[in-house]
Amino acid sequence: MRTYLNNIYMALSTIMIGMKVTFKHLFEPAVTIQYPDVKPQLPSRERNRLYVNMDDCIGCDQCARACPVNCIKIETVKSLPDEDLGQTSNGKRKALWVTTFDIDIAKCCFCELCVFPCPTDCIYMTDVYEFSEFERENLIYDFVTLTDSERKEKKDNYEKMMAEKAAKEEAELKAKEQASKDKPEEKK
Amino acid sequence: MIYEFLSNITGSEILGAIISAFLPLFLFILPFALIAVLLERKVSAHMQDRLGPMRVGYHGILQTVADILKLIQKEDITADANDKTLFNLAPILVFAGSYAVFAAIPFSSSYLGSNINLGLFFIIGISGIVVAGILMAGWASNNKYTLLGAMRSAAQLISYEIPTIMIVVTILMVTGTLNLKEITELQSGYFWNWLIFGGNVTGIAKYLLIPFMIVGFVIIYISTLAEVNRTPFDIPEAESELVSGYHTEYSGMKFAMFFLAEYANMFAVSAIVVLLFFGGYHSPFGYLGNTFGITWLIPIEQLLWFTFKGVGFVLVQMWLRWTLPRLRVDQLMAVCWKYLIPIAFVNLLIVGLITLL
Amino acid sequence: MTVYDIIFYLFALITIGSAFFVVTLRNIVYSAFFLLFTLFGIAGLYVLLSADFIAIVQLVVYVGGILVLLLFGVMLTHKITNVQIKTGTLQIIPSAVAVLVLAFALIKIFLTTNWKTMELVSQNSSAQGLGVLLINQYSVVFELLGILLLIALIGAASMARR
Repeated sequence: MRTYLNNIYMALSTIMIGMKVTFKHLFEPAVTIQYPDVKPQLPSRERNRLYVNMDDCIGCDQCARACPVNCIKIETVKSLPDEDLGQTSNGKRKALWVTTFDIDIAKCCFCELCVFPCPTDCIYMTDVYEFSEFERENLIYDFVTLTDSERKEKKDNYEKMMAEKAAKEEAELKAKEQASKDKPEEKK
Repeated sequence: MIYEFLSNITGSEILGAIISAFLPLFLFILPFALIAVLLERKVSAHMQDRLGPMRVGYHGILQTVADILKLIQKEDITADANDKTLFNLAPILVFAGSYAVFAAIPFSSSYLGSNINLGLFFIIGISGIVVAGILMAGWASNNKYTLLGAMRSAAQLISYEIPTIMIVVTILMVTGTLNLKEITELQSGYFWNWLIFGGNVTGIAKYLLIPFMIVGFVIIYISTLAEVNRTPFDIPEAESELVSGYHTEYSGMKFAMFFLAEYANMFAVSAIVVLLFFGGYHSPFGYLGNTFGITWLIPIEQLLWFTFKGVGFVLVQMWLRWTLPRLRVDQLMAVCWKYLIPIAFVNLLIVGLITLL
Repeated sequence: MTVYDIIFYLFALITIGSAFFVVTLRNIVYSAFFLLFTLFGIAGLYVLLSADFIAIVQLVVYVGGILVLLLFGVMLTHKITNVQIKTGTLQIIPSAVAVLVLAFALIKIFLTTNWKTMELVSQNSSAQGLGVLLINQYSVVFELLGILLLIALIGAASMARR
């Protein structure tokens, strides 16, 4: 009988305690952030979408090698000796035309490993985190500032230069051979 | 009441009957369900320090309208293995059962579907159809979760009908009538004439009645809470274990009918508690219509008071829902058979003795 | 033909029609659910006879209680839908004789009884009269029925404990 009454008392009193708690919370300000209207304050070291500042990129390929999921694809073309590509913001001389700099952000795992090896600090995480797309292809970001024709031109230039160089070398080689052919004759 | 009035106006009994049958649906149940669904979501959200629906209209006021539009558009899925006839019949039966209750509830002194002498008893009796409808839904869905939910629901409803009827009998002893309008009229005047404060019984008996009336109120509130399958007694539609009980397989408008029936039931149950213990449609402080001498204002005020009290108890139901966890089946039965029924019996005896004084 | 008549025939149709299906359908669950409509129709007929108390008791006890228990029993039975129910005609001659005799007796009673007809009175409520009768005139029967139910309850409890 004693436990019976005690049970009733316990049931009613604990329900009252619980209801008091929920009633208090009824008037507490909500913690909800109305997301698309109000954006939450991001932490200072947040990791979101990658961005590459192509003005500073020297095409060293270190970020692509650091990437654990191989989402960065870089192709470079050497510049002609008479071309001046300018300097990066921290004083490094640029020597390569970057003809391809694709980041497949769908593959990116936001590990930030590509950011640290960059000698010019040109690849970094931005605070943009809303970049959904309807087509998967749209998630491959192309950062190269050159137009398609320019890229082709650079490649052609390089090839032409290489071809010229090769031709020159061949000519030199031939000349050398000729010379070495001639010399012994002279000695003879 | 309203039926006689309408048949006088339209001059046809049939037309009057049809109009009076549809009135509570359009005047009351649909608007109430619209508001209550939103209220439920808002109350639950704020109790958990959330905001709830916010995007449709100002602070999500039109959320339920949007939901209904969505439900109307939805495909009405009937699975292959379902028992088609019973599957389609069940929501109608459940809704009819919970809707029939509103025929006997006096919303105000001049609005009452039918002035039945056994109104209170009728309300309890007609809810029996709901049990059959739930069993039908559970069986016709041909799904183990729905069948389990239906079984639990029926077992629970039948068990908890007993304490409800006991308290109704207790009230019958004090009032001497089962006519809901007469019970309400007995509680007219100020709030100390409400049955929870001993009714209009005179002398020492009134003060002796108060504690037992409070006990009766607590018991009937708990047992009616169980009858409408609300938390903490929501094992029939336990989302986490039974998906959602007997209406798992339903979609579109059929699901909406179950939903509507559930919210209609919630209000009906609160209305019973209000009618039995809290003076029905009577105002606790007298009427503005009386002070200004405008007689037509009084019924409107009464309707407002009734709605206010009813919605108040619905709010308490929601409050309890977001406070308490779900009971286990054995605990559920223990609460009913070991606690509520014996206490209700003792209460019945004591109230009977007091009314003899 | 008044509204009263229409409602009467409606309820009579519900009762008889669903009773027919209860007997003839092969699926037990369907039969059980049709029994619901039969019992409901009977409750409606009681209301029309201004026996409001009996009508509501019919709802509470039969629809709310017995029928649900029946459904429980039917649904918990293993493989209900596959059960072969024998509805074939086995004993044609004895059953026909029995039915004919019974029908004859019923029709005879129906025709020869001196039925008392009275004006339709809208009775206030039958509950009070019933209560007074049960407590005064038929109190012994009432109590005996109570004892019978108690015995049944105790029996059920003791069987369940075994």
